[in-house]
Amino acid sequence: MIDWIQDLFSALHQHVFETGVLPVLYALDLGGEAERAFSATEFFLIGAIEITLLAIVLGALEQWRPVERQTHTDWKKTDASYTMLHRLGFVPLLLFFLLMPAIDWIDGSLRMHDIIPPSLEDWLPWLSTEPLWSFVFYLVILDFAAYWLHRWQHRLNWWWSLHALHHSQREMSFWTDDRNHLLDNVLMDSAHAILALLIGVAPAQFIALVVASRVVESLSHANVRIHFGRIGEYLLVSPRFHRVHHAIGTGHEGAVRGCNFAVLLPIWDVLFGTANFEKTFPPTGIRDQEEGRQYGDTFWQQQWLGVKRLFSRA
Amino acid sequence: MNARSFLVAIIVAGSSLILPTYAQVAIVLNSGDGTVSIIDKAQKKELKRIPVGKEPHHLMATPDDQYLIIANAASNDLVLLDPKTGDVKRRIDKISDPYQIGFSPDRKWFVSVSLRLNRTDIYDGDFKLVKRLATPKAPSHVAFTSDSKLALVTLQDSNQLAAIDLATQSIKWIMPVGMTPAGVWVTPDDKYALVGMTGSDYVEVVDWRAQKTVKKIKTGKGAHNFIAMGDGRRVLVSNRIANTINIIDQKTLEVVDTINVPGGPDCMELTADGKELWVTSRWAKKVTIIDMATKQIAMQIPVGNSPHGIYFMGHAARR
Repeated sequence: MIDWIQDLFSALHQHVFETGVLPVLYALDLGGEAERAFSATEFFLIGAIEITLLAIVLGALEQWRPVERQTHTDWKKTDASYTMLHRLGFVPLLLFFLLMPAIDWIDGSLRMHDIIPPSLEDWLPWLSTEPLWSFVFYLVILDFAAYWLHRWQHRLNWWWSLHALHHSQREMSFWTDDRNHLLDNVLMDSAHAILALLIGVAPAQFIALVVASRVVESLSHANVRIHFGRIGEYLLVSPRFHRVHHAIGTGHEGAVRGCNFAVLLPIWDVLFGTANFEKTFPPTGIRDQEEGRQYGDTFWQQQWLGVKRLFSRA
Repeated sequence: MNARSFLVAIIVAGSSLILPTYAQVAIVLNSGDGTVSIIDKAQKKELKRIPVGKEPHHLMATPDDQYLIIANAASNDLVLLDPKTGDVKRRIDKISDPYQIGFSPDRKWFVSVSLRLNRTDIYDGDFKLVKRLATPKAPSHVAFTSDSKLALVTLQDSNQLAAIDLATQSIKWIMPVGMTPAGVWVTPDDKYALVGMTGSDYVEVVDWRAQKTVKKIKTGKGAHNFIAMGDGRRVLVSNRIANTINIIDQKTLEVVDTINVPGGPDCMELTADGKELWVTSRWAKKVTIIDMATKQIAMQIPVGNSPHGIYFMGHAARR
């Protein structure tokens, strides 16, 4: 069954690449980018399949056990457009054609001075032949970094002015994961990619890491009344755990400006004292929305207001 | 049974026990998922797929044929395999971003081009770094002149061919060539360097002594890499975009035949008897085997992601 799926995917990947991507590359005299474009095409196709499967599975879960009845289909549509843009266009282009060449340049300059950036395998050589363990190690390291980056998104006022857009959704669904300001995306995606490449994550491995994280993140934003049980709640971020992070009044306030910052592993919140395991499914949004603050309804309104907030004009 | 026929029987039985492990595996580098496919050459079946490191692209045998060197570009190391079995024997670390690799014919120099980092590193025969040399954009493939004085390196993104003087480890000259040069091959008479234009549809013939292009041999689109047919006269060039392989007569510098190979044909290996050509079909995640008598596909073997380098013992001569 798995072989059959892999063969089918390989055939699709080859077909799209040879008939759709390669001719365009060659028309633009970019033949030297073929290998990079081959990986980017794979990333794009995985994204498209992933979105389709998530829409089917998480859509069904949201119908089955919704936390709340949602009425604003236009809000959901806007969030869906963020998902398409981010997972299918923005990230593959940014990652493969801007960040990777930039990292290569930095890497190359360092190596001319005999500085080879360390990788995890330098300390744990046995990982070289254990791709599954190497995947797990990198996943944990990157998730740790994601926890702290997320804390700074809330803690630093200028960054919160951008990140607030993500929290302004009052009818949260699995589409909400990618509802982010584009500048916020550039910052977060760049930080992740730079860290991943500097600690030695291979590009193909990075794709798998991103896809695995995205699946959990989509689920954690879903409008579903689901938790993972007494022990499970400590092992993986659940829709309930993450909903508390989005809750009006608790998700963005207090000394550390919020709680439950973990992306995949709640253990970081437990270790750094920011966990809140309350057994509720509270309403989501930002407190100042109740006082009338607008974050915009359409994509462009939201982007524009984000920039204005950044410069303290909204 | 007399003593003589008994002895013959023992030798036959003994060699049948030993020989199958020799020259029986083909080794394919799956650059996309960091594995090596070990293929039973006779059965044409993948026996196993072993993790080897990050982004293994190219491979070559050590000059004494004892080991197969796999260059893991993103792991910054070389892995030495037993070419008979595919077992990992040794790992040499701190080889920075080895993309394509080569030994000079006199075995004194080991050259590693770093496509990603715009550099060519020169090591001695024991893999000790002698010089890191900044080169223009995307050094892609390397070949040597037969006197081992020059390493010719294609510069994929700056559309040039560079000659590195190995004695002084410095760039001797750089000349312009066509769009996206990749594979480079020195003809057996040592007169010309053939350069595959992956961004175009020809092989450029360079008189490297005069640093002059003397001819453009029309091929399929995406001319990429070379391998000898072992007769000292013909060389194969894979065309990654056209999905063909051309046979070039190195004496007349003409294409004499064309073979259709789907899925982005890249690296090649030809059996010593010239009967089978094994090709990595890069975009199809397969190895394609061509029956050279009919020039048709005999079969395809599924392997890992983005298969690149390929090697087996019992290959055709490299000239």
